[in-house]
Amino acid sequence: MAAALASRLTKGRSLLGGLTNAFSGLVSSSSGSILSQQQRTFIQMGTRLKVVDNSGAKEVMCIQSLRGKKGARLGDIVICSVKESATKVDVKKGKDAIQKGKVKKGSVVYGVVVRAAMQKGRVDGSQVRFDDNAVVILGIKEKKTDEKGKEKKQNYKGGFNQPLGTRVFGPVPHEMRLKKQLKILSLAQHLV
Amino acid sequence: MATSSHLLPPQALHMIRSQPSKKLGFSPFLSCAPSMNPILSISRLSLSHSVSKSSFSLDTKARREVLVRAEDNPEAVDANTATEDNVVEADEAKAPRKPRVKLGDVMGILNQKAIEVSEKVRPVPEIRTGDIVEIKLEVPENRRRLSIYKGIVMSRQNAGIHTTIRIRRIIAGIGVEIVFPLYSPNIKEIKVVSHRKVRRARLYYLRDKLPRLSTFK
Repeated sequence: MAAALASRLTKGRSLLGGLTNAFSGLVSSSSGSILSQQQRTFIQMGTRLKVVDNSGAKEVMCIQSLRGKKGARLGDIVICSVKESATKVDVKKGKDAIQKGKVKKGSVVYGVVVRAAMQKGRVDGSQVRFDDNAVVILGIKEKKTDEKGKEKKQNYKGGFNQPLGTRVFGPVPHEMRLKKQLKILSLAQHLV
Repeated sequence: MATSSHLLPPQALHMIRSQPSKKLGFSPFLSCAPSMNPILSISRLSLSHSVSKSSFSLDTKARREVLVRAEDNPEAVDANTATEDNVVEADEAKAPRKPRVKLGDVMGILNQKAIEVSEKVRPVPEIRTGDIVEIKLEVPENRRRLSIYKGIVMSRQNAGIHTTIRIRRIIAGIGVEIVFPLYSPNIKEIKVVSHRKVRRARLYYLRDKLPRLSTFK
């Protein structure tokens, strides 16, 4: 906890590191509003994201954001590389079963960002932000030695609507409706 | 009214009665469009309503006087302008002067007016940091029923009509913070459920604390 706090404070341009919770909280609140508020930014190359469906992957690293020059936001699609996947020992049967086309470590996948630590504004003036960054995997990017780019584009042109897994964990924002991810909306436990 | 409706915040529509005269768009519009540049809005309105040149120039000159009149008696403005036409309004503008509104106060007055309009529709209770609050929201995407948001008020930012509160709650294991504009017409009900004693105005420390502290049944 203290380490996480320290890393977050350094991100917010504060000079504290490794101090206790209470003390650092006191100092950051007195040193001005800009320092104590954390400006979260986009999801870009290198961002680690949590996977919140049962597609087999656990943690994923973004390697390309398909939308936006600065990076992806809530609701955008990203290309990721699977860094950590559920091991074979995991649940095979029942509701939590890992899918047949199980995503393995090292494979490149498409995912839609369902939770972002960066706030997203809505049309009615409200904003929403989550405590973590999470994706739902939509499809695997197949590797082919020839015709790599062109063939992929034709395959996935309009069809990013079906998630790979069958369950989605955690809250899902309404932005999914605007991004036409209706399946994810219907699978969600809780709509924000 | 319909042509300019896309320019106006929804609260302002309350103020504008359904008057046939093109002029009428002006005074209530000016008095309750806090986010609009008055000059820009006048030009837009003039284009869309195709107001005659004379009345347009008159209004840019008499803008402040119009505002003063609106400030003093908002009800009288609507009643008067029902029967007035351009000429009569010109006379009123040159009538005995009321205390002039300083340019620096304009935004404050506009915001107050917009808040009054919104309060008439739905009164907003006194909300402070540390209150545990339940908000019923009408989401345009989810037209079937009202969404309910419960949580602790982490901060309150006062900005006139865009006064916002930040609600935090742990939903399905993940912390979610939502910023709500208090005077939004989408909010159907705000209820203060309870209060927690806090010694801060902004409770950002809750992000680093245990999820238990942000959980509300």
